[in-house]
Amino acid sequence: MKVGPALRDVAIAVFALIVVLAIPLLHRSPAFEDFVIRLSAMALFATSLNLLVGNTGMVSFGHGMFYGFGAYAFALMMQMTDVSLPIAAVLAVLITTFAALCVGAICVRLGTDYFAFITLAVQMLFYSIIISWQSLTGGDQGLRGGIPRREIFGFELASQLHLYQFCAVVTVLGLLTLRHISVSPFGQTLRMIRDNEHRASFLGIVLWRARLFAFTVAGAFAGLGGVLAALFVSGAYPELADWPNSGQAIFAVMLGGISSFLGPVLGATILLALNDVVTRFTEYHGLVLGSVILAFALGFRRGVLDFIRLAWPGRLR
Amino acid sequence: MSGLITRRTMLGGSAASLLAAPWVARAQANTLRVGMQSILSGPIALLGTSSRNALMMEQDRINAAGGLLGRPIEFVFRDSKGQPQEAARLTRELVNSTGCELLIDAEASSGAFAVQEVVRDLGVACIHTNSETSSLTADPKIRVPTAFRVARQGVHDAVAGSAYLSEYANAKKLNKWATCSPDYAYGRDTTAQYLQFFKQFKPDVEVITEAWPKLGQPDFTEVITKLIQAKPQALFTLLYAGDLSAFVNQGNIYALFSQIAVATPNVDYPVLAAIKNLPAGIQSATRYLETFPNTPANKEWGQAYLKRWNERPTNWSWQNTVAMQFYEAAIKKANSLDGKALAAALTGMKINTPFGVDGTITMRDDHTTIGYAIGWGQTTPKEPFIVDVKAADWGKIIELETDWKKQQKYI
Repeated sequence: MKVGPALRDVAIAVFALIVVLAIPLLHRSPAFEDFVIRLSAMALFATSLNLLVGNTGMVSFGHGMFYGFGAYAFALMMQMTDVSLPIAAVLAVLITTFAALCVGAICVRLGTDYFAFITLAVQMLFYSIIISWQSLTGGDQGLRGGIPRREIFGFELASQLHLYQFCAVVTVLGLLTLRHISVSPFGQTLRMIRDNEHRASFLGIVLWRARLFAFTVAGAFAGLGGVLAALFVSGAYPELADWPNSGQAIFAVMLGGISSFLGPVLGATILLALNDVVTRFTEYHGLVLGSVILAFALGFRRGVLDFIRLAWPGRLR
Repeated sequence: MSGLITRRTMLGGSAASLLAAPWVARAQANTLRVGMQSILSGPIALLGTSSRNALMMEQDRINAAGGLLGRPIEFVFRDSKGQPQEAARLTRELVNSTGCELLIDAEASSGAFAVQEVVRDLGVACIHTNSETSSLTADPKIRVPTAFRVARQGVHDAVAGSAYLSEYANAKKLNKWATCSPDYAYGRDTTAQYLQFFKQFKPDVEVITEAWPKLGQPDFTEVITKLIQAKPQALFTLLYAGDLSAFVNQGNIYALFSQIAVATPNVDYPVLAAIKNLPAGIQSATRYLETFPNTPANKEWGQAYLKRWNERPTNWSWQNTVAMQFYEAAIKKANSLDGKALAAALTGMKINTPFGVDGTITMRDDHTTIGYAIGWGQTTPKEPFIVDVKAADWGKIIELETDWKKQQKYI
């Protein structure tokens, strides 16, 4: 990999981080901060899914499972043990990674359609376990009692500003890592598999191994998103691991654009903003959301960023 | 290459400014905004709309009387769709960007627990009006200093219902019972709670079969045939809303209700309206009934609601009404909207209200209400739908509730 593009990505990330961190210093808007906190969870979730959908051509309908897994693993660890918050977060991501490895080992060898079905099936299984294992998960009422916010180096995550800063840093680092993976030779390999798996196979690439690795990495970052989501709602709820949540991530990817790295982030932003604005005015938000998605699917025929890149080729990459 | 960054930044910047626009709007300085969130869409939207209807009546009443602290009140209603993470977001939004100074949380239980944690962080006054799950206020780990509950509670209903049903079972010599409840935490937990108290009151009771239909199940044939084959003498069911009316309508086809005695605590006016031929003699609790407590004030409120909305109020309607009555009294007493000051005023407060069994309801020290009307009677196909209503004994309810709390290690 050339040094140039990598440095450019780091520069953009640092710049974005500085901007996001500077906003509360200039003007405090709790609503904006809440939005960024939620967006950070959703952005990691959607971008990690795009590593599968856009980069590898594996459409997973069960990605919400790892989001929920991360949230539950983190929240349970914080409630049941005395480990510090960063350690609980890292452990939660590691456990989710392992879960993704196990699920991936079963799923990745299957063809596109069956892969989509079986990821959905595994997610339903996981959701049912959450609902049934009441003594551990609280069943359909979710994990109650809140997440104890143990202080880390004078950093108090019960404070909205600190949570905002924490989420911003974690997300920018997470996205940078995902970006690095997607432009690395491994990322190129994934795209090659997407475009022509037989050719990739003839070149000596072990397809299932590359796919499994992509699936595991995607699961890990979805888990990280889940950790942030759990911090925001101060708990974990079965809805986080349910299939409509996977659908949300797919919508975000489709709305933003699958061939642009920042597409899912833009898609997540649109989706969340749309939800927030529409629910203020009507109870028929499903209708509005559906119409918007229909307009994108029939009008643009691709996500926003992909559309812009196609309209002005060469200017945006 | 620098052009590339600029364009992206420009796009991001314009998107951010578009998003920020609605957040700049603030409440008019004088109006007191009260945030209300609930389930206003989907299959159980009734939960939210009947709550909202009652609150709009309260808004008119309070404003006609000069508002709160001399300020007119205005409700801001939000739909959580029943999703906990959305519920948590809305609570923050109502307080942080809409400028609400008081909260009415009319979410079902899972949403209420999410709201509870946000209220813990925000420190604003909040009254939960629809969650009946006892642990929300009973568990000291979950209780929040500025959050209260004005709603019936699972454990109160279980004691009252079991006491009534054990007397009924003794009188009719009904020992073999069956249960039929929705297959999720509420159905399983609450059925277990009823049975625990039931067996305490009537040790020779025997449960010979259990049915656990799924929530929103359209066809109850297998459940009904299972019940008929097991030949119990009586059936206890926690089905509610659309499930309950569907079950009764389908049970009627099999003449289920002439073969076994039936008891349910979940009959509400909309359920009664949805049942085609309401069988007489079902043992039923009153969730809200115009004729219980049989006072002019209760009747008047029920009729006013019917006149304004062209439908009958539900259990949630009275609970939300009482929540505003508590806020009104507490704000007068504290002369403040501050969460801590209101919490101090609300704790131990007793107010006069048509929905109390003796015309009053008390907010106990553990942030939950007692003394509200709980009665059991039997159904009749015509108005008033439930007759021979016997009021529950609150002394016994509190005694057994205390035992239960000790058992759960809450006290």
